[in-house]
Amino acid sequence: MPMVLLECDKDIPERQKHIYLKAPNEDTREFLPIANAATIPGTLSERGCAFCGAKLVIGGVLKDTIQMIHGPLGCAYDTWHTKRYPTDNGHFNMKYVWSTDMKESHVVFGGEKRLEKSMHEAFDEMPDIKRMIVYTTCPTALIGDDIKAVAKKVMKDRPDVDVFTVECPGFSGVSQSKGHHVLNIGWINEKVETMEKEITSEYTMNFIGDFNIQGDTQLLQTYWDRLGIQVVAHFTGNGTYDDLRCMHQAQLNVVNCARSSGYIANELKKRYGIPRLDIDSWGFNYMAEGIRKICAFFGIEEKGEALIAEEYAKWKPKLDWYKERLQGKKMAIWTGGPRLWHWTKSVEDDLGVQVVAMSSKFGHEEDFEKVIARGKEGTYYIDDGNELEFFEIIDLVKPDVIFTGPRVGELVKKLHIPYVNGHGYHNGPYMGFEGFVNLARDMYNAVHNPLRHLAAVDIRDKSQTTPIIVRGAA
Amino acid sequence: MSQSRLDDLFAYVEERCLWQFFSRTWDREENIEGVLNQVCRLLTGQEPLRGTPQERLFYADALAMANDVRERFPWASQVNKEEIAFLIDGLKSRLVDVTITRSTNRELNHHLY
Repeated sequence: MPMVLLECDKDIPERQKHIYLKAPNEDTREFLPIANAATIPGTLSERGCAFCGAKLVIGGVLKDTIQMIHGPLGCAYDTWHTKRYPTDNGHFNMKYVWSTDMKESHVVFGGEKRLEKSMHEAFDEMPDIKRMIVYTTCPTALIGDDIKAVAKKVMKDRPDVDVFTVECPGFSGVSQSKGHHVLNIGWINEKVETMEKEITSEYTMNFIGDFNIQGDTQLLQTYWDRLGIQVVAHFTGNGTYDDLRCMHQAQLNVVNCARSSGYIANELKKRYGIPRLDIDSWGFNYMAEGIRKICAFFGIEEKGEALIAEEYAKWKPKLDWYKERLQGKKMAIWTGGPRLWHWTKSVEDDLGVQVVAMSSKFGHEEDFEKVIARGKEGTYYIDDGNELEFFEIIDLVKPDVIFTGPRVGELVKKLHIPYVNGHGYHNGPYMGFEGFVNLARDMYNAVHNPLRHLAAVDIRDKSQTTPIIVRGAA
Repeated sequence: MSQSRLDDLFAYVEERCLWQFFSRTWDREENIEGVLNQVCRLLTGQEPLRGTPQERLFYADALAMANDVRERFPWASQVNKEEIAFLIDGLKSRLVDVTITRSTNRELNHHLY
């Protein structure tokens, strides 16, 4: 089966190179969607910008760091509070938002003085906070404001603070992915090995590419605590700025989100010889495998088996309850990139759910190699999908539930197809054993929600009857 | 017979193993060689190498694969050491072909991460 040109794309035939329908006896040597390429004019992409990839995805997660957005207010507001990554110190990162609030006169006459003033104001207002990340945005990059020079000046004036700069304006890449890269490489170049922390365990690792969405990191941390493994740094879920400066001290880098954070794991391997272990943290089967691998690395296999047995005893019956009721349901995953390959087999193996279409906003070709290797035949694999394509794909595969973001989610809700927030979750965490039961529960509640059927009834049409929905209680 | 066993192993690696899809050619080569050498040792009753951190990592990935291969494929307990070595060599070649040599991933040979 060649790449697919959808009916809605007939006027932008270049889109054919981005959509693949897997057929028997094919592999990625023949058909691999082009990815991480500029959005084709004429499509309505749902991508974010490069600045968003640095700030919203990675930097903004840190629990002890002021996120100074040097730009207009909207860049700050639109990358604040739209993802739910709590922290164990009262959610500092979600309570506050900082911006230099650039206006026309600052763009015309330069914004460095305004940035300097804003940085001092922020530190003055929050005297307990001594760490800051400063981001450029499109206008401040275009006018050439030197944020590194300003950061140096502020650090000279305030010797107790440390500032990291991210020069990654929204236009600098094709998607969020560029921002991930810039922050990863900038951090390893400038901040790793600038601090040492106390090592309290014989087993140490960094956990990379997990952003504590609704408590993912905190749930997994209970496993590492029970195994006696010290996490030197969480990149960046519930993490601290200074812990990330100590990443060179770990013995192992465990990577969940290879797309947003693989770069720093690769560099830590190259520069410090710390091996990189990629795992999947979603799903029973995969989580158990990840724990087994980590424990095998440290030679503590028995501890790992005990933990897995305890978790299975506690959570597997609950998972199976949902599996019985979700078996055979069809699911679409329209998220960033890695969740396509993390989820496609885990929902199939653990819940009996078939993934029929997947779309990635910012995945690279590597992500499509992974997902096509794991995904089923007859499934659509889409790079940088647009809304008309989503409508057409829905008609073709008729999913029972779609895991996607709130924007596309609102769109599919109007078609009376339930959606679950695949980015920020509905009621997470979703990682780990307990987390995957949460995911199953949210999927069950979405698929069997009587409201969506009722919402489809137009009472002005006398021929329509209200459906009667029978739904079991968990 | 060997071909169908090789197909089994390849399908397993496709489905389960993220190490085959690291970002660059040299990472993929290193992983395919490193993990599968350890798998070969485990399946042929040899002591795995665990002297360096990287060897311990390859061992961790290989242990999961060797256990799964024994559990999923009844033939794994019936083949001799020579055939295991032959199958692992065949698997390495096939993975290199799919994930490196004929991969159309445009980032594989970038000199930076």
